[in-house]
Amino acid sequence: MILRILNLVLIGALVLAAAYVYRIKFEATVQAEHLAKLRDQVRHERDKIAALRAHWGELDDPARVQDLAKRFLKLQPVAPTQFDTLDHLPDQPPDYMRPGSKDPIGGMIEHLEVPLEVTGSIPRDGATPQTSDNTTTPPAAAPAQSGAGSE
Amino acid sequence: MSAIAEPIAEALPVAPAEPWLRRFKRVMFYGRNVDRSAKARARVGLAIVGFVVVYGIIALRLVLFGIISDSRTPQRIIVDDAVATARPDIRDRNGEILAIDVRVPSLYAEPRRIIDVDEAVELLTAVLPDLDPTELRARLSSKRGFVWLKRDITPEQEKEIYRQGLPGIGFLKENKRDYPNGPEVSHLIGHVNIDNQGIAGMEKWLDSHGLAALHMAGLATDRLQKPVVLAADLRVQHALRDELVQARDHFHAIAAAGVVLNVNTGEIVAMVSEPDYDPNDPRQANEPSRINRLTTGVYEMGSTFKAFTVAMALESGKITLNSSFDARMPLRMGRFLIHDFDPEHRFLTVPEIFYYSSNIGAARIALSLGTSAQQAFLKKMGQLDRLRTELPESAAPILPRRWSDLTTATIAFGHGLSVAPLQAVMGVAAIMNGGILIPPTFLKRTQQEADELGKRVISRRTSLMMRYLMRLNVEKGTARKADVPGYYIGGKTGTADKVVNGRYSKTKVLTDFMAILPADHPQYLLLIMLDEPKATPETHGFTTSGWNAVPTGAKVVARIAPLLGIEPRMDLPTADQLILASLKQSR
Repeated sequence: MILRILNLVLIGALVLAAAYVYRIKFEATVQAEHLAKLRDQVRHERDKIAALRAHWGELDDPARVQDLAKRFLKLQPVAPTQFDTLDHLPDQPPDYMRPGSKDPIGGMIEHLEVPLEVTGSIPRDGATPQTSDNTTTPPAAAPAQSGAGSE
Repeated sequence: MSAIAEPIAEALPVAPAEPWLRRFKRVMFYGRNVDRSAKARARVGLAIVGFVVVYGIIALRLVLFGIISDSRTPQRIIVDDAVATARPDIRDRNGEILAIDVRVPSLYAEPRRIIDVDEAVELLTAVLPDLDPTELRARLSSKRGFVWLKRDITPEQEKEIYRQGLPGIGFLKENKRDYPNGPEVSHLIGHVNIDNQGIAGMEKWLDSHGLAALHMAGLATDRLQKPVVLAADLRVQHALRDELVQARDHFHAIAAAGVVLNVNTGEIVAMVSEPDYDPNDPRQANEPSRINRLTTGVYEMGSTFKAFTVAMALESGKITLNSSFDARMPLRMGRFLIHDFDPEHRFLTVPEIFYYSSNIGAARIALSLGTSAQQAFLKKMGQLDRLRTELPESAAPILPRRWSDLTTATIAFGHGLSVAPLQAVMGVAAIMNGGILIPPTFLKRTQQEADELGKRVISRRTSLMMRYLMRLNVEKGTARKADVPGYYIGGKTGTADKVVNGRYSKTKVLTDFMAILPADHPQYLLLIMLDEPKATPETHGFTTSGWNAVPTGAKVVARIAPLLGIEPRMDLPTADQLILASLKQSR
């Protein structure tokens, strides 16, 4: 009787073990397929990256950039005189806009050295609405402000 | 067996108790004296053994499948695709890509599986008009298992052909080498053939250094190989090439070439030999006019060789900067007369000989030291042996057949000995960098590696004096047009008459210019070489180096110095004060 129960238990265990092994095996296969798929994907991604890098290399080619710069920009090659080191910089300018000062804009105007002039990059009619918006601004500072504010 | 025998003995007496019908059957089926139960036991035993064996085999196979099957599937995919082998990327010193592998589809056919050849030919030529129909038909009608139809088709063409659904036509993705910068770096990196094997330049060097063996073993299929980093700087290379192309067109020269060399490490930062070719379309590469003039051409370098002559003189100790030589009249050597281009008709000191570029003076210096001293010095500077770099292409210098006194005199000013320009660059770099001869390289190299490779050929002192002379030549001499403010350039010009039909031509010249920057602590050496420049209105009819190679060199320096990280310094004192003074201190 004990033998028979033992037999039944063993058979049951065998079936369970077989089912378990089968499941593991099945999962392993699924994983292996997944792995192969991922590897393939990685390879494809790498190929794509390589293609994009090659394309970037073409776009970034100095000859092409030089050609485009010549056509669309008004830049000149840098002259040796235009290089300088940081220790040749003049001393720090007086900080006329101290935090907490009563009239920062007035202080700014007092210290302005550069004559205010309208350059080509500032739209001419952009200056008028700026002054009408902010009536407290003295007219002399208006171009400077519109220069900073307008695109 | 004895255990079985016992029950048999017991069973026999029981036998008569058996019903008669069963007994009858037994006797009829099996014979009178056969014991069925014993036989059955034996059979069951046999069956057990059989089943154990069969299931054992099945279990074993299962285990084997479990182990092997994983590695089999991905392998098949790779073999399907990787026909042409992968190559490592080539990058410049800043990581810019010079050469990279991209995957492109290629079209193949399996002629045995094609059903209707005519239809296939018709449909394929519709998509790929450059396929020759008769050749295509011949290929498809052959009995071979596999033929290439067209390598490297576009993805659109692939889609279209795929949609036609022809049996026996298929695609393989292949690695194809792409050179995004086109002709910019052509001679430097070379190119590959249709099977992605390097056949020129650095590409060939890659193959000869292990890559070919990897390919044979079928291992180089992945793109995970380490990129190869060159010493070249793409931006410097472009600036040099751009200026050289302009100079070549401006002076109507048949060729222009240039090198930028780091004198302290021997790294070749840029190398251009114009006309060049597009490595993406290497068919032009075989035209003889497109050879790399810097390594495969040999030239008489002209007056730049005076740098060697003067360095030799100063190194010998017998001649100092204050020695002077008779240059009052042309030097007669047997049947020949050695002239100066722009004679001074007086005694010239060594610096004057250098910056007036006096042939007579240089010849007299060499003659005073003797032929064997000159040979030994040039040998030491690597000018008499073939220079080998990573590039497979190289040319041996052409030495004079008989090294007479006349030869000594002419070699002193750069005629009679033809060397590869890169070789001369290496020699002058050694004179400038403090006296260490470093073999030039196209691969990135650290200062330590260079120090290990380099060997001292001249003293530091001589090198300092030569720097002084090079700077003096820009301040007072033939290279005045090279004085870009801020970079303190030193340089030596050279104009060599070309040999046409065995005689020196009066009109066809090769001009070159070697510039060092900055002259007080040289970091880079620049060579500009123009082959047969013509006179233009601006040059007032002159074709000498000072009028064409030197201005070109100045333009190049102005462009490349910021790229090379050389800081401009304004208002520097003259060579007498800056370099000569440090010479006196070192004494």
